[in-house]
Amino acid sequence: MTTRDANPGSVGKLAVRGLTHRYAMGPPPSELTVLSGIDLVIARGEFVCIIGESGCGKSTLLRMMAGLLMPSEGEVLHDGTPVRGVRHELGFVFQQDAVFPWLTVEKNVAYGPTSRGVPKAERERLVAQWCEAVGLTAFRKAYPKQLSGGMRKRVDLARAYANSPDVLLMDEPFAALDVQTKAEMQDAVLELWRSTRKTVVFVTHDLDEAVFLADVVVVLSSRPGRVHAIVRSTLARPRSAETRVSDAFAAAKRTLWTTLQDARGGPTAAAAKEARNTASKTTTERA
Amino acid sequence: MRSSARRSWLARACKPAVLVGAASLALVIGVYWYMALRPGTNPALVPSPPAILKALRDEIASGDLLVNALASLTRVVIGFVIGASLALVLGALAGWFRYAGYVLNPIIDALRPIPALAYIPLVIVWVGIGEPSRIIIIVLAVFKPCVVNARAGMKEVAQIYVDAARTLGASRWRVFTTVALPSAVPYFIAGLRTGVSTGFLALVAAELIAAPSGLGFMIQNAGQYFRTDVTIVGIIVIGLLGALLDQIASRTGRALTAWSDVRREP
Repeated sequence: MTTRDANPGSVGKLAVRGLTHRYAMGPPPSELTVLSGIDLVIARGEFVCIIGESGCGKSTLLRMMAGLLMPSEGEVLHDGTPVRGVRHELGFVFQQDAVFPWLTVEKNVAYGPTSRGVPKAERERLVAQWCEAVGLTAFRKAYPKQLSGGMRKRVDLARAYANSPDVLLMDEPFAALDVQTKAEMQDAVLELWRSTRKTVVFVTHDLDEAVFLADVVVVLSSRPGRVHAIVRSTLARPRSAETRVSDAFAAAKRTLWTTLQDARGGPTAAAAKEARNTASKTTTERA
Repeated sequence: MRSSARRSWLARACKPAVLVGAASLALVIGVYWYMALRPGTNPALVPSPPAILKALRDEIASGDLLVNALASLTRVVIGFVIGASLALVLGALAGWFRYAGYVLNPIIDALRPIPALAYIPLVIVWVGIGEPSRIIIIVLAVFKPCVVNARAGMKEVAQIYVDAARTLGASRWRVFTTVALPSAVPYFIAGLRTGVSTGFLALVAAELIAAPSGLGFMIQNAGQYFRTDVTIVGIIVIGLLGALLDQIASRTGRALTAWSDVRREP
């Protein structure tokens, strides 16, 4: 990831420019600024996590990147062109269970290609490839209600990837899963990312998840949501189960935690600032 | 699967719901039987259960029952198919597309509080007392619950599925046909089931007025000749046919919503 200051000429794979979002509330009529002056440039092939406490607008930001919501001010650029509505190049994985319950697994996975008029033979190949990639080949004919929560998330991932997107936007996709399943899904998503090298923007409120997955973590502050810090990961890849218990992981998590405390502006803010200063170039850069 | 279903038949028959239910029904019949046998009761007006069974046998033997039941069934099926198809198409459009709603909602909401039977005099004046007028009444009766449920179902489509389809590149029309319609099917089924019963209700009412055949005609005609036994047979057959149609509707509905883990049993 580069910020606009570091690399002003770059447009990146996905860029957010001066994005502000206000939300009308009432009665009495008033306005809540959810996001304020967000600037981000996400480079091709990067795995970016957006983290922040609940209510900081991180999901709203991601929905705007997908064109599901229009910002009050500013814009989102995909390959330099403004996003003004959903586009199939921007795949989305939702927090809730979004697998169509009335379609079988394979028909769910085929949904995107079918929508875009991909020829049958090619569609069939995509379905086979992505069902295999997420380990659901044996369940192709099953209905979602026959699958566990984790398996349904796999269907969701396969469906997004089978549509040949350019960027994957994931909105706390594993928040509802148990710890064990969550870890498996994180491994799965890293494997998908490694094999496709497609840009991923992943929203989460889970520190461990952000540390484990990301090249770069964008820390948002709250009310209004602003980019508080951009933290580049120092963890080596590939990452495995051992990574989760390594000292490097613990250190990276600590750094991120102090940054997040600082973003909250709580009593530990001063301590966090100090920690950030001493952590020097492994850490942050204020946006 | 099949064998376990067969094995559980006896177990199911022994459940309190079934046992107590059967006893409750038997009690009603018993009270009726007692009243019928009381001295001073005119058996022509209050026929005993054996007399009713005899009337049923006679009606079956003469073929009258079959002719009348088929006449009613044909009407209700034609009326149901027309009324339900119209209702599903219009209700789905009104519930999904904003401008279709602007056009159709006032019409639907204006029709809503009017009982289908209130149209009978008007229909007779406009189209006479022939077969079409009876079918029109049934169409109107079926249409109302179906259209209201279809529209409600489209309003309840989960936004998450719509968003998912859109991000996958589905056009607005494709979202309508592949997301909104299938996810509203449980509501359609609920509407169709209500439609079957209201259609059946209207059928009998329509047949009470100048019909040459049908179960409504049969009970009306028998009543005029004080054949109370035949009237009661007709009423029982109407009840059984109504229950049969409802079962067909609900089984079809269950088959269509096999994907759903939510059971909606209205």
